Amino acid sequence: MSLSPASGIGRFYARSAKIIRFVRLGCTNRPFYHIVVMERRKNQHQPVIEQVGSFDPLPNDFNERLVALNTERIRYWLGKGAHLSTPAAELLGIAGLLPIHPRTYMTAWRNRRAAAEAEATSEKAESSSTA
Amino acid sequence: MHLLKHLRQLNGLQGLRQAIRQVSSAPTKPSALQYERDPQPLFTDAETQRLLQSMTQLNLDRVYRKRTVPDNSSEIKFMTNEQLDSEFQDMVVRAQHMLQMPPIVEIKKDVERVIDKDPALKDFANTKYVFTDITFGRRQSERKVFVRETDGTLEHATLDTTKRMNQLYFPLEGRQSYTPRMFALEELLSKCLTEHKYEFILDRLLVQYEPYEAEFHNISARVFEHLNESKQFDLLRSTRHFGPMAFFYAWHRCIDDLLYDMIRRDYLHNAVELIALSYKVHNIPVEYEATLTELDKLHPTPAQTALAELRSVFRRPEDKQGIEQEINTAIGKTDQDFAADEISLKFIEQYIASEHSLKKVQLELAVQTLKEVNREKLLLFQGLKKAHGVQTS
Repeated sequence: MSLSPASGIGRFYARSAKIIRFVRLGCTNRPFYHIVVMERRKNQHQPVIEQVGSFDPLPNDFNERLVALNTERIRYWLGKGAHLSTPAAELLGIAGLLPIHPRTYMTAWRNRRAAAEAEATSEKAESSSTA
Repeated sequence: MHLLKHLRQLNGLQGLRQAIRQVSSAPTKPSALQYERDPQPLFTDAETQRLLQSMTQLNLDRVYRKRTVPDNSSEIKFMTNEQLDSEFQDMVVRAQHMLQMPPIVEIKKDVERVIDKDPALKDFANTKYVFTDITFGRRQSERKVFVRETDGTLEHATLDTTKRMNQLYFPLEGRQSYTPRMFALEELLSKCLTEHKYEFILDRLLVQYEPYEAEFHNISARVFEHLNESKQFDLLRSTRHFGPMAFFYAWHRCIDDLLYDMIRRDYLHNAVELIALSYKVHNIPVEYEATLTELDKLHPTPAQTALAELRSVFRRPEDKQGIEQEINTAIGKTDQDFAADEISLKFIEQYIASEHSLKKVQLELAVQTLKEVNREKLLLFQGLKKAHGVQTS
């Protein structure tokens, strides 16, 4: 699919439901997302109203995930009553633009629990091997 | 699946190690000569700028020389004398713009600015997130970059990360997102230095780094120190780097080599300006303003000289030049120049006699030679005038 300008080429109805969501670009095994505003009922690969950012989920050389957000336009669309998909809401929460999404807390808590369990099992294995 | 994940993590670590290696191999060892306090107020001061601009001089052939750019084409036009004159004036203004000096400012320190700490968010991801605000129409300096660490801290990014993100989302032409090999590898940089490619290094430095970065200070200090040893100051004359170089020497009390070069090339008013600058930088209680104003009256500014040189094409060959003019061009100096030289020599000798000069013998010798040459010129000048019956004013 050829790239459209970030100002978007999607046609939309004035009173239709809009949503801020990800569009998966990139290729097989290499995800890359555009953060876009589009009509809620549309498929992600249809023309968008506006692109408001990008998200690279794979860590780079410096071990960081890169997110670009056009905060001015995101605030505008949120003010217009645009909805948010859960991943987009999570990302905006992490960015500090919105309150942290509950699911982020859930993931954090699960990750911590998994790490603690892994540590406990490895300790047990060590103590049994030394004994 | 697990194995893949593990491999990917290992890969990431390797990338990190590579990046660290790249950073650490850069010749960022701080140079011996550093600005111990903020030089910016002194550098941007109007008088300092005027002195530095005058020292830089304005040789239009140097400024508009052919460069290694894709398009060096020229255009040929027919013009009336008035059009040509206005074009000349534009040309000088453009040249002055091209000679604008890069600022010398303090090295900016990283300050940690935490926005939010959320311990409940610890381990929400295995890497940190970097957020860049890409709002339209912001300047690079006012773009906000934030980092969410894995322990849940949201803070402003470091200067380094901010610069990297700016370059990623809004790339500047010519700037690379990694350290160029020229600056990263010691042997390449020293090779450039030994080949006297000072302007090339400084131009590239200006594109790659911001003036407030430590690398900018370290590498430019290295270049200036090398220049002070090789004494090829003429390579930087009429470029935008001459001013910062002179300021650097004045600040670190090593103007003597540059001064010697200026005296040898008979740029005496520049020598006076350099000495005045060093007095000004170190608050030495010597009265220099009077000498400078006297010299300014006798000497046109670099822009005026350049414009006069351009306008000389309007003189038609069959026009009768005054005999005085002819004598002036033959000798290369006018009455005013001789008067100015006398004032400057007095001032320079005063400096050499003072405790501030370090290479007294060398400088004295240079001054003596110049004086002798000047005396011969003056004798010839007066003789010619007398022979042609021109009234001495």
